[in-house]
Amino acid sequence: MAAVLVHVDLVGDRPDASSLVALAAGRHVASSWGATLYAAVVVHDPHHANVTSTHDDIAATTMPSVPGLADAESMLARAGADKVVIAVSRGPVAPLWSAVGNAWRGVVDHLRPRLVLFGADAPSAAELGPRTAARIGARLLLRARASGIDDVELRDRDGGYARVGDGGAAVAMVGRAPAIDAVPDDCDVDVVVLALPGTRDERIELVTTSPAEIAHATGTVLVLGDDVANDTRIAAGAKRLAGLMNAHLVGGPAAVRSGAIANGAVVDKATPLAPELVVTIGGAQVDVAGATSVIKIGASPATRIAGVDGVVPGAADVGLGDLVKRLEAS
Amino acid sequence: MTDNEATARLTITPGSRIMLWLGNTGPARSIRWLDGALKTVAKFDPDKKGRAIAFAAGSTGWLDLAADRARHAGVASAGVHTDLSLDYLGWAQIVAAASRQLGAGTILVDEASRPERWVEVAAIAELLDAAQLTHVVKLAPDKDVIHASRIAGRDLQTVRVRGNAVIGVRIAGAPMDEYPTPMPSTTMQRMKLENLGLDPVVLGHRAQPPRTHEPKKTVERIAEHLVVHLAPRGAR
Repeated sequence: MAAVLVHVDLVGDRPDASSLVALAAGRHVASSWGATLYAAVVVHDPHHANVTSTHDDIAATTMPSVPGLADAESMLARAGADKVVIAVSRGPVAPLWSAVGNAWRGVVDHLRPRLVLFGADAPSAAELGPRTAARIGARLLLRARASGIDDVELRDRDGGYARVGDGGAAVAMVGRAPAIDAVPDDCDVDVVVLALPGTRDERIELVTTSPAEIAHATGTVLVLGDDVANDTRIAAGAKRLAGLMNAHLVGGPAAVRSGAIANGAVVDKATPLAPELVVTIGGAQVDVAGATSVIKIGASPATRIAGVDGVVPGAADVGLGDLVKRLEAS
Repeated sequence: MTDNEATARLTITPGSRIMLWLGNTGPARSIRWLDGALKTVAKFDPDKKGRAIAFAAGSTGWLDLAADRARHAGVASAGVHTDLSLDYLGWAQIVAAASRQLGAGTILVDEASRPERWVEVAAIAELLDAAQLTHVVKLAPDKDVIHASRIAGRDLQTVRVRGNAVIGVRIAGAPMDEYPTPMPSTTMQRMKLENLGLDPVVLGHRAQPPRTHEPKKTVERIAEHLVVHLAPRGAR
C-alpha cells in the first residue's frame, strides 16, 4: 500500500499547528488514494541507547523518554494518522537540515513514501521540505491545499498538483486543508519507534537563537499606510486581519502615533522587506521588492500593479472589511 | 585586464572559490537584492583575486544585467545562455555542474530576487552532498569559518559554518529605482551547457512552463489567494 508521510514538528511538547494542517490534508489524500498515513516526529533523548550506538542501519528500538510524547501521539492519532513514527535522533533536534537531516532521511528512505507533506509554516519546513523533494526527485508544491471530495488532490497556486494517478513522488508544503471528521479519543494507532543512524552535520553549528527583527520577517507582513492610520475602523480591521494570518502589523510614524501599531513595528519606504506575503492597506510606502507575493487593499487607481498579485478595489475600509469577513468565514 | 582574463589566470584549487548563483531570470521587482547578494559574496574576495564569482543562466539580456551588476560590485562573473525553462532540480543540476567547472566549494544563492529560488538551495546542496542553510540575513566570512544569521519563523538563529555549504541569502543592497540599461557584456565568462557535461535534451525532462499571474481584482479571488496563508484555527 502506498505511503503518505507527514513531517510533524513539536513545539514544546505539542504538535505544531501548521503540521496538523498538513496531517489533515494527508488524511483526506490517504483516504482518497487508499494509502497509509504516517505521521513522523523526530525526537531526541540524551539517555536513549541510540545516542551511543554506532550502527549505521535503521532499527526498531525502545520508546524514548521525551516529556509529552505520549500526549503528542494521542493528538496525532485523533488528527487522523494511521501510524505514528517516532524517529529517535542521535543529536538534539533543531529546525535545521544539519541537525535532523540524517534522521529524517532515514525515515524517508525507510518508508519510501509517494507523497511527503509539511506544514507550510512549520518550523522545519523551509529546511527539510525542498531537501526531501530533491533527495527523492519529487515535484515540489508550495502553499498547496487539498481539494476535491472523492478524488482528492493537492494543488498549489502555480499550477502544480499531485493526484492519485500521477507517476513519481511529490512533496508539498501545505497551507490549507478541510477539517477532518472527528476521530474518537480512544482511537487505536500503531506506533513505530525507529533508531536512526547518523548524527548532526558538523559543518553547521547552531550557536544562539533570539527573536528576529520585523524587517527580517519571512511569513506575512501587513503594512498600514500613514494615510489610513487614523481611521479607527481600518486600524481595527488591520488588527483582525493580522490575527487571522498570524502576521506582523507594521506601518509608518503616523500609525505609531495613532496607536494602530506598536513602537517597534515602524518601517519606512527604504526598509527592505522579503517576506512570503505583504499586504498593504491604503497608500503604504514600503519596499516590497523581496516579497514573494504582494496584495494591495485600497490603493489608488493610479497605483502601479506590476508584480502585484492582487488589488482590492475601492475604499480601503470597505475592501478590508469584506476581505476579513470572507477569510473569517472560510 | 578583464574579469575573463582574471578568471583564466587564477589557479583554481577545486573547492577554493565561493560562487554566487544569481538565478535563471532577472529580479522580479528591483535589483536591490541582487546587489546585496553580490556585495555579500564580494566580502569573500577583498583583494579581488577572483576567489568570488557570480554565476547566472538564462537569456542574453539577463546575463548582461548580471554581468553589469557583478562588475559594479567588483565580482567576476560567468554565465550560461539557455532558453530552457526548468524546475528547481533542473536549475540545480546546472548550478552543481558550473560549481565543479569553476572550482567552487561554497555556493551562495540570491533567495530574494525571485520567489521560487529559495527551494534551489536545498536541491543544489543535495546534488553536491553539501551542508545547507536557508534564509540567511547576515553573513561574515572569518578565515575558515562563516558566521551566519538565519531566520527561522520569528527567531533569528546565529550559526557557524565550516566547510562547503550552500547558503541562501536574503541581504538587501542600497535602494535603487533607476539604473542604466546594461550594455552587452564582455566581462562575463561565457559557458555552454555541453562544456559543463550537461545535455540540454536530458535537462529538458525537468522542463516546467513559465508561470504567469494576472493580478486578481475581486475580494473573492484575493480571499482565495490569501486562504493558504491563514494561521491554523488553533494558532490564531
